[in-house]
Amino acid sequence: MMLFKNIYPYSRSVTMLRKLVLLFLLALLAVPTLVGFAQEPDGLPVDVPREDLWVFDQIFRWGTVGNYNVWRIGGSTPFHHALMLETFWNRDQETGEFIHALADGDPVYNDDFSEMSVNLRQGVMWSDGEEFDADDVVYTIETIKAVPELGQGGWHPQLVDFDVQVEKTGDFSVHFTLNRSNPRFHTLFESRWNGVYMMPSHVVSAAAEAVGGTENLGSWEWAAEDVVVLGNYLPVEADPNGYWELFRRRDDPENSLAGIITGGSGPPYALSIFYGNENIRKAIAMSRNELDVYFDVDIESFEFTLDNASKARSWYTDFPWAYPNEVSSRQLAMNMEGDPMLANKDVRWALALAIDIVELQTEYIGGVAKVTPFPVPPTAKLYNLYHGPMTEWLTNLQIDLGDGEMYNPYDPTVPDQIAAWAEEQGFAVPGEPHEVFGSGWWKYDTDAAEKLLIKAGLSRGGDGQWLTPDGEPWVLDLQSDPSENDAYRMGQAAFDMWTDFGVEVNFSTLDRNTWDQNHFVGSYEVSTPWTSFALASGDMWPQIRGRHSRYYAPVGEDYRPLGGDGVRRLRDDRLDELIDAMESVNPVSQEAENIEINTQLLQHWVENMFDITCIAFKKFVTWDETYWTGFPTAENPNYQPLYWFQGGKYAIQNLHPTS
Amino acid sequence: MQLLKSYILPRIAQWVVVIFVGVTVTFLIPRFSPINPVDDMIGRMTAFQTIDPQAVVAMRATMEDLYGLDGSLLEQYVAFWQRLLKGDLGPSFQNFPTPVNDFIAAGLPWTVGLLTTTTLISWLLGIFVGSLVGYFQHRRWAQVLERLVIVIYPMPYLITALILLIVFAFYIPLFPMVGGAQGSPALTWQYISSILRFGFLPALSIVIGGFAFRFIMAKALATTEIASDYVQYAELAAVPKRRIVLSYVIRNTMLPHVNDLALSLGAMFEGALIVEVMFGYPGLGSKLFTAISNADYNIIMGITLMSIVGIATGSLIVDLLYPIFDPRVRLR
Repeated sequence: MMLFKNIYPYSRSVTMLRKLVLLFLLALLAVPTLVGFAQEPDGLPVDVPREDLWVFDQIFRWGTVGNYNVWRIGGSTPFHHALMLETFWNRDQETGEFIHALADGDPVYNDDFSEMSVNLRQGVMWSDGEEFDADDVVYTIETIKAVPELGQGGWHPQLVDFDVQVEKTGDFSVHFTLNRSNPRFHTLFESRWNGVYMMPSHVVSAAAEAVGGTENLGSWEWAAEDVVVLGNYLPVEADPNGYWELFRRRDDPENSLAGIITGGSGPPYALSIFYGNENIRKAIAMSRNELDVYFDVDIESFEFTLDNASKARSWYTDFPWAYPNEVSSRQLAMNMEGDPMLANKDVRWALALAIDIVELQTEYIGGVAKVTPFPVPPTAKLYNLYHGPMTEWLTNLQIDLGDGEMYNPYDPTVPDQIAAWAEEQGFAVPGEPHEVFGSGWWKYDTDAAEKLLIKAGLSRGGDGQWLTPDGEPWVLDLQSDPSENDAYRMGQAAFDMWTDFGVEVNFSTLDRNTWDQNHFVGSYEVSTPWTSFALASGDMWPQIRGRHSRYYAPVGEDYRPLGGDGVRRLRDDRLDELIDAMESVNPVSQEAENIEINTQLLQHWVENMFDITCIAFKKFVTWDETYWTGFPTAENPNYQPLYWFQGGKYAIQNLHPTS
Repeated sequence: MQLLKSYILPRIAQWVVVIFVGVTVTFLIPRFSPINPVDDMIGRMTAFQTIDPQAVVAMRATMEDLYGLDGSLLEQYVAFWQRLLKGDLGPSFQNFPTPVNDFIAAGLPWTVGLLTTTTLISWLLGIFVGSLVGYFQHRRWAQVLERLVIVIYPMPYLITALILLIVFAFYIPLFPMVGGAQGSPALTWQYISSILRFGFLPALSIVIGGFAFRFIMAKALATTEIASDYVQYAELAAVPKRRIVLSYVIRNTMLPHVNDLALSLGAMFEGALIVEVMFGYPGLGSKLFTAISNADYNIIMGITLMSIVGIATGSLIVDLLYPIFDPRVRLR
């Protein structure tokens, strides 16, 4: 009885406690759920009417947030430059057009290219109402030249190296004087990605005073509320954790440069948002109408988008969908000092002829990227400059299979074969095969490849596998980084095809850092990087100069401290000679001569098969037209759709409400 | 006094040594990595454009000077401690010149908020439900619950997160997909409710895994405990079952649970990388991952320092609490 008395009140309190705990747990589950139901299913982090807001893929999570001093080392420019910044000229990657931006005309050089004059466009206004003029140019150049910490784009050391002097020759004209000849000086101000971005001198000079002098501008933090731009958008607020950033259209879009050039005004607000690196997250976001454009996803997520966002599309409305003209290409690149066999040109050619490019492009890449036999993507302009004119040379090219047997390796019908495959799959080909699928490539001819390996001293073992001249099994190391989807699939294709050909291949899947590091010190034999020797304009010297043998570093040493691009461990006198010849040619006023030298370099590259370039870049840049329309398309290819490049501003400016 | 000399002071000394060694190791390891922050930054700056090779060499020199990486390892180490003792973690290399403190201030509230809440919920739920199931293990509902948890427990976190994401962000699009809240911080219902809404899915994903782990642990401990003499005696004495569960079973299994809680809370400063990646939730986890990838020594040091201090302090607290929970420690 005593025990019972003691227990009863305890029992009651425990019952109460249990009820309270249950209520608490229920509340924990229910409240957020109710909150979720109670609010609109709008998952966007900003409170702006959706019909006024253009939402685009931020691609990555910002590190620095809220500092718009883009001139400093590490200043963030991707798509900021499209929304806010301007320089003299743009190069559109789709059309190859040299667009006069802040400059009112082409650069004018003196005879020895040590001076350059630029006339400036009149009527371009800063967002605070001041007119852009020559004072801004002079201030920008002198400031960047004076402050090493303003290291964006490597402009500071280049201005110092040429001891650039700039003078105002009128309110809207400037004159540059260099300490020596530089026929490409203007390219500092020609943006494909970045160019020397103009500073509002009336704002930055005041900021310099506030931070104790111009020399401290490297650590100056330009807050959103103080930003003044030549572009069409001003920053409003940003997530301190870097997931999103909101911009508003300036009050006078007609006075922004993109407004003047396109006549458009663009959406009132623009929100960049990072949905993560998981492709499916972007696809889901677009299906929820919470993303108007993403920059790229894998084919599976793209198909998910088409299935779940009825108004979504990419460059083509149907096969092959993706945007094919970003200026880069993907290679099976060989380390000339990796596997000793690879130092032999015949071995490199044998590996090329053991690749079935039609199968690679269709079965592995899905038919959605253009084919190219050298490191220049066949965009419309570059095809006309290089691939088309070189077709005859490629067709007549002969290689020696041994014992005097000459062989023509080029197959110009590759695009037609891919087109036939596409039609078999039930796809319509939207244009001429070479326009859609690129150029010809090397024949798939394992007999010829076999002869080349025998010529190089290799032999087949009893099991059919290739043996080195020493009689040891020939083992080739192939490395790839799966985060680059097309490059990785190209690597898988090479692994399969070379294995079928009897080469023992070790295929290593590496994370980006390890893969990069192996490149830096030459710890690889064959890899799957990407590059383009040509800019969108067709000029090649800026892209190729780093491969000069003066930047050579042996295997085991990091090539980067030399400043060049010595990743291939390649030293070639003829290559050096051609690179030197390019340097002194002006790519605008001497374009024909420039293209001639560039073509010679490509021919030399191909003859030696220094790498096996397979395909050009493609991007599933995809947009949903529920709210906004007017993005460039294959039917209306007025500008590049690559909004994260500086020239992407024109595509943004042309957007208008769907309704 | 004896307890202080023989038990408390040695553990505090151990705490100091652990932190010093941990910080020193964290200082050294990234510097032995082949990734160089200057090269990494130049690589990012030249990813989309070519730069004159001579300009690259000049930029490299400028950056080494700016980053303070031009001295010997010992000089850097001494400078590091001088800064650290003043509470200055230095600038982020990859986001120069933004101070590391700013990054930590931006990410820490989200990480601590999410992980403290979810750890406590899963801890309480796991112990309570696991102990109940352990005690009533022959009941039908307990067997069903146990099997359910055994199915959930081995599921990789990634799969759980993906299922939640697809169900609640795609098929039933109730919850947002990115961020920690809507708009700028403010003491308004709209902002506070948005924190709950944005944090619900990430929190649920962590609670599910944490609950399952603690459920299994609590159930196993309870199963052992019910075989003890005092529980059996209590049952024979007709002590109410709820009292047996709360005061006999759960109380006597609390030591490992307290240990688990302290270490879990201490480790939260490392962040929850996969949660942040899967749900686009703010925090320190992905910041640490990016810093490691880019050899951003100062960020690595800032976040790891908190983690080292957190775990060491958690262990210290557990050690100091042991005499309270376990009289045997006091007696020794």
